[in-house]
Amino acid sequence: MRNTWVILKREYLERVRTRTFLVLTLLAPAFMTALMILPAQLATMGEKPEHIVIVASTQQFGNNIRQQLLAEPLIGEESEYDAAKSKSEDQYTIDVDTTATESERAVLRDKVTRHEIDGFLWLTDGAIAAHSVAWDGQEKAGSREKAWISEAVNRVVQQQELGKKGLTAEQSAEMLQPIKVETFRIENGRETKSAGSGRFMEIIVMVMLIYVAVLLYGISVMRSVLEEKTSRIIEVLLSSASSTELMTGKLLGVGAVGLTQIVVWTVMAGVIALPSLAAQPNFSELQLSPLVMVSFVLYFLLGYLLYSTMYAAIGAITTTEQEGQQLQFIIVIPLVLSVFMLSPVIRTPDSAAVVWMSMIPFFSPIVMYARIVVQTPPLWQIGLSLVLMVGTIAGLVVLCARIYRMGVLIHGKRANLPEIMKWLKYAKA
Amino acid sequence: MSSVQTPVAPAFDGSARSVGADAVQLTGVRKCYDEFVAVSDLTLTIDSGGIYGLLGPNGAGKTSTIRMLMGITVPDAGQITVFGQPLGRAHMDQFGYLPEERGLYKKMKVLDHLVFLGQLKGLTSTEATTRAKAWCERFEISSWVGKKIEELSKGMQQKVQFIAAILHDPRLIIMDEPFTGLDPANAVVLKDVLLEMAKSGKTILLSTHRMDQVERLCQSICLINHGRAVLEGDLNQIKAGYGRHNVQIKYDGDAHFLQEKRLVQSFNDYGNYVEVRLAPEANSQELLRLASSHARLDRFEVMEPSLEEIFIDVVGKSNA
Repeated sequence: MRNTWVILKREYLERVRTRTFLVLTLLAPAFMTALMILPAQLATMGEKPEHIVIVASTQQFGNNIRQQLLAEPLIGEESEYDAAKSKSEDQYTIDVDTTATESERAVLRDKVTRHEIDGFLWLTDGAIAAHSVAWDGQEKAGSREKAWISEAVNRVVQQQELGKKGLTAEQSAEMLQPIKVETFRIENGRETKSAGSGRFMEIIVMVMLIYVAVLLYGISVMRSVLEEKTSRIIEVLLSSASSTELMTGKLLGVGAVGLTQIVVWTVMAGVIALPSLAAQPNFSELQLSPLVMVSFVLYFLLGYLLYSTMYAAIGAITTTEQEGQQLQFIIVIPLVLSVFMLSPVIRTPDSAAVVWMSMIPFFSPIVMYARIVVQTPPLWQIGLSLVLMVGTIAGLVVLCARIYRMGVLIHGKRANLPEIMKWLKYAKA
Repeated sequence: MSSVQTPVAPAFDGSARSVGADAVQLTGVRKCYDEFVAVSDLTLTIDSGGIYGLLGPNGAGKTSTIRMLMGITVPDAGQITVFGQPLGRAHMDQFGYLPEERGLYKKMKVLDHLVFLGQLKGLTSTEATTRAKAWCERFEISSWVGKKIEELSKGMQQKVQFIAAILHDPRLIIMDEPFTGLDPANAVVLKDVLLEMAKSGKTILLSTHRMDQVERLCQSICLINHGRAVLEGDLNQIKAGYGRHNVQIKYDGDAHFLQEKRLVQSFNDYGNYVEVRLAPEANSQELLRLASSHARLDRFEVMEPSLEEIFIDVVGKSNA
C-alpha cells in the first residue's frame, strides 16, 4: 500500500509537471470549443447579401417564387442551429426578369462571370412544363441551396396548379402546409426533446478526449516502463517494492493525471464556456443528464486506464520505443473500430451486435457511452460493462507486473510469445 | 570520523543480537533459466556484522544469487533465511542494494530521487530529506541536489546511487561492484563509509572482481563458480590453509636460480620484483641461499598466497 502510494505520487507529479500536461490542459478546451463553434461560424462567415435573378415567363410567377424564397429559410441539415440565423430578406436581392430569351441568358451568364450577380434561376413556362429548371451560379448549388430552391419552385407551381383546379389561395396553402416531424426520446420514463446533433457532439467529444489522452499519456506509460527497464532502475525499484505495487502505482498515478485533467477542464468549462453557451438559444437541449455526466467520467477514466495498461504491457514486452510504437496498432485498432461502430450504435443502440460490442471492455468506453447518450440501456448492462472493464484492467495489471518483473533479466531483443509465456511461468511466485 | 549523523539502526525485536549470528543463510539454493543452471545447490552463511565478499568469475551466478536474495527472482529449490526468518517481502526495508547496472530516473532531481527511493523503503519524506542532505554533504554533492540526474557525471550518479542504497540505514547492504567508476579519492570516501557501517554492526555483502579490495575489506568470502560455492569461510583461515608457499624477491643480477625446478614450481615476473611459487616440499631458506649466491637481493619475503592466486587456482581446479 505504502509503496503503491509513493509510486503513484511520483508518477503523478512527474507527469503533471511536464509541458505536455500544461499544453493539453489548456489547449484541449480551446480545441473543443473551436470544434463546436467553428462550423457554425464558418457557415455564417461565407454568407454575404446575395443577388439572384429569377427568369420567368410572367412577372406574376416570378414574384411568387421570389416571395416564397424569402419566406422560407434556407433548409439544411443543421436546421436547429440555422433556423435562428436563417437568411432574412435583407440578405438577399432577388430580381425578376421576364425577358426569357437565349440572348438574355447569355447576358446573365456574363453578369455571373463578372460577379454582378451570384446566379440566376431559369424558370420559363417551358422549363416548368418539362419539370426541369436550372440554376446557374458562381458556385454549384449545395444540397441545402438545391432543397431551398426546389421547395420554393414546387410550392409555387403546386399552388398555381391547384388554383387552376379551382382552389382558393388559402385552401391550397393549407393543403400544402408541410407536416413537421418532431422527435422525442424517452429518458427515465420521461419524454424529452431529442437533441439530435447535440447528442452526437457529446459522443465525439468523448472519442476525441479518450483518443488524445490515451495517445499522449498512454505512450508516456509505455515510455516510462521502457525507461525503467533500459536504465535498469527496475532493479532498484524491485528491491523495494513488488512489481504489482509498481504497476498499480504507475497506472493509478496516470489515472490521477487523467482525473485532474477532467476536473481542470470542467472548472474551465464552467468559468469560460457556460455563460456563452447559456446565451445560445438551444442551450437547454445541450443539457446533460446526471447519468450521462457520471458515465462520461467513469468511461473516460476506465477507458483511459485500460488503454494505458495496454501500453504498459507493450512497454513490458519490448526493449525500445520504436518496437513499442510498432505494436501500437493493438491499441489503435479497438479505438478505431469503436469509432466505426458509432453510426450503427446511434441508429440501433439496442441491437444484439451493439449490445455485445458495448460489453467488450476494449470497446465499452466509446460504444457503451454512446449507447447511454443515445438511449439509456438497462442498468445491469452498464454495471456489467463497468465490472468487466475493471476486471480486465486488474487482470492486465497483474499480467504486466509479471512480465515487467522478468524485464530485469532481459537484454537486447524483443521477447516473442513463447518467451513471454516463459517469463510468466518464472514470475509465478 | 565524519560529521554525518549516523542514523540509528532500526529497532527489531532482538536488536541486541550478538555479532556473529547469521545474517543470511542460503541452503541448497537452485535457480535455472530453461536448461541453463545459474545457481545450483548453493549453500553459504553470512555472519551478522562485517563485510562478506562474494567472488566468482563472470557468469558464475553472483548476480543471480543476489537477485534471489533481493526477492527479485524466486529460487527453484532451496531455502533462504534472513536474520533467522525465511526471506519475505517484510525484509526488503532492511536491505540496501547497489546493483551492478546502475539505474536512476534521468529526469528526476537528485534530492527528489533520493527522497522517493527512501520513501519506498519506509522513510517519511522529512526523514528522507534530512538524511539525503546529510549524505550528499558527506559525498560533496550538496550543490547538485537540485539538478537533474542526467546533468550529473557518471561518478556523481554513482554516489547518488550509493546514497540511495544506504539512506534508510539498512541492516543488510548488498553492493555489486561499488567502486567502479569512482576516482581514487571518492573510492576512499566510499570505503570509509562501508567500514564504518560494518563496525556499527551492519552486514555488507560485497560482490566484486577486484581481489585487492576483497583482500583489504572482507573478513569472510565465498567463491562461487558454475553456480556452486567452491570456497567459503574466513579469509585468514583460507589463506593460512593454502600455506606459505610464495616468495617475493627483489634482486639484481643473475636470474638463473629461478630455473631450479627442485625449488621453484613457477614464477611470475612483475618487472620490479618476481613472485615465486615454491615447489612442494621445497624449503624457502634453501632458495634464499641459492638466490643470494647468484644475485644481489634487495628483498626476500615469504608470503601468504594472494587471493588472486587462490582464485585462479580454485577456479582452474573446479573448471577442470
